[in-house]
Amino acid sequence: MFVIIMGCGRVGARVASAMSRGGHEVLILDVNASAFDRLDADFGGTTVVGNGIDMDVLRRIGIERADAFLACTQGDNRNIMASQIAQHIFNVSKVVTRIYDPLRQDTFKALGLEAISSTVIAADRFIEVLDPDLVQEGLAVDRA
Amino acid sequence: MFNPKKILVPVNGGPQDATVVALASQLAKRSKGQVYAIYVIEVRRTLPLDADLPSERQEADVVLDGVEHAAEEWDQEVETEILQARDVGTAIVEEAVEANVDLILLGISYRRKFGEFDLGRTVPYVLKNAPCEVWVCREQIGDRSGR
Amino acid sequence: MYVIVAGGGKVGFYLAKELVEHGHEVLVVESDARRAAEIEAQLGSIVMCGPADEARVLRDAGAERADLVCAVTGDDEDNLVICQVAKARFHASRVIARINNPKNAEIFHKLGIDDTVSATDVVLSVIEQELPRQHLIPLLRLRHTDVEVVEAIVEEGSTIAGRRLRDVALPKPCTIAVILRDDAVIFPEPDTPILIGDALIAFTTSENEGPLRKALLGE
Repeated sequence: MFVIIMGCGRVGARVASAMSRGGHEVLILDVNASAFDRLDADFGGTTVVGNGIDMDVLRRIGIERADAFLACTQGDNRNIMASQIAQHIFNVSKVVTRIYDPLRQDTFKALGLEAISSTVIAADRFIEVLDPDLVQEGLAVDRA
Repeated sequence: MFNPKKILVPVNGGPQDATVVALASQLAKRSKGQVYAIYVIEVRRTLPLDADLPSERQEADVVLDGVEHAAEEWDQEVETEILQARDVGTAIVEEAVEANVDLILLGISYRRKFGEFDLGRTVPYVLKNAPCEVWVCREQIGDRSGR
Repeated sequence: MYVIVAGGGKVGFYLAKELVEHGHEVLVVESDARRAAEIEAQLGSIVMCGPADEARVLRDAGAERADLVCAVTGDDEDNLVICQVAKARFHASRVIARINNPKNAEIFHKLGIDDTVSATDVVLSVIEQELPRQHLIPLLRLRHTDVEVVEAIVEEGSTIAGRRLRDVALPKPCTIAVILRDDAVIFPEPDTPILIGDALIAFTTSENEGPLRKALLGE
């Protein structure tokens, strides 16, 4: 499938490299060209310098034929906006969004985004290692 | 000699209330002035400023009753007022200007936050912004009465 | 009316100031502590310091009872999220978003944010009004004189299209010397009709350029 990944940080680069190795067509977008240094040396996909919340840019890189879109820049709002553009304007069938803030994750899950909070996942893992009972008892749940 | 004609005493039910009221009463008596005690209820933004806050007002009434009793001991009448505001410091300064007072008497407790003495935000705000004279009375460190 | 202004930049500051002057209850939510203090010093205690795109902050700001939430930070994505959170989570009665990229209006609209304001669009619309859409094309100025040769294209909807030359009230002094129609060059008579697509080549004084434009092209 054709996957567009926005944000070539550690996570984005890792996902892009893996997807490319797995035989998918990958296009990775970042506003900063030096970010692409994080990709595998033999990365087989396409790199584009540009802003993923700009519809013109998205159209130019072929989002209309994309099967999947992953937004994983450092900015929650950027990710949210780009994902919603992919989902609601270009009807990309699989859209995934990285959101740091757990509260915001709740809100946008309710609005129909597949939102993954790396904060929640990492914290849960840490708690699981420190005290597995807490996780079983459901005490690790965020009550903000 | 400083002879304040109108003294503003903001109270909050804290340990220094009695001290500042007594001080204000004596000062006012000597200068034939007035004591004006206010209790400021800080209203959260989730509520309108004029929200009905019965339990807060009840608490304020209790504190202001105490102020009147304390002043009576010095045979000094006190004007009292309950104010609702977004921020205590701003309310005190605005009221001081509005009522044209010559002196604000602030009582503060000795508070620590993260191990450091903490003045909070109200006192610095009043010190910085009030046009009139401002006196601050801090309670003693540690409590002899064992409170 | 209770209005929450998210973003204390220049737009947010003056918006808040105006709203206060109109007697509204206003709260500015600004994430930068120093900027928040600056606004407070000027407008009084109507400032809350915190990121307005966080649900916790919007809740404490009283988004639930707000009649209006205006998201006017400098970043479109932040304004989008602020409005969406205010609407979806706190059911704010009305939200308005500032956008920088005019094309985002469509996105915001599709995502349920109907009121967007784009400074870029406002400036553009002013520019478009200022620039006469149908304008006289200056061809040349006759040496040592005040006389100019200009070209005017007769567009669809022109008031003179279909009329005879004699029926067009031209300012004086001024002459239409030649009409270029497709590949033909016509030296017009008073009875020559003017058609859509004609290029009228006129001699005019620079003083009469404005009136001529009005006569040939409308405003």
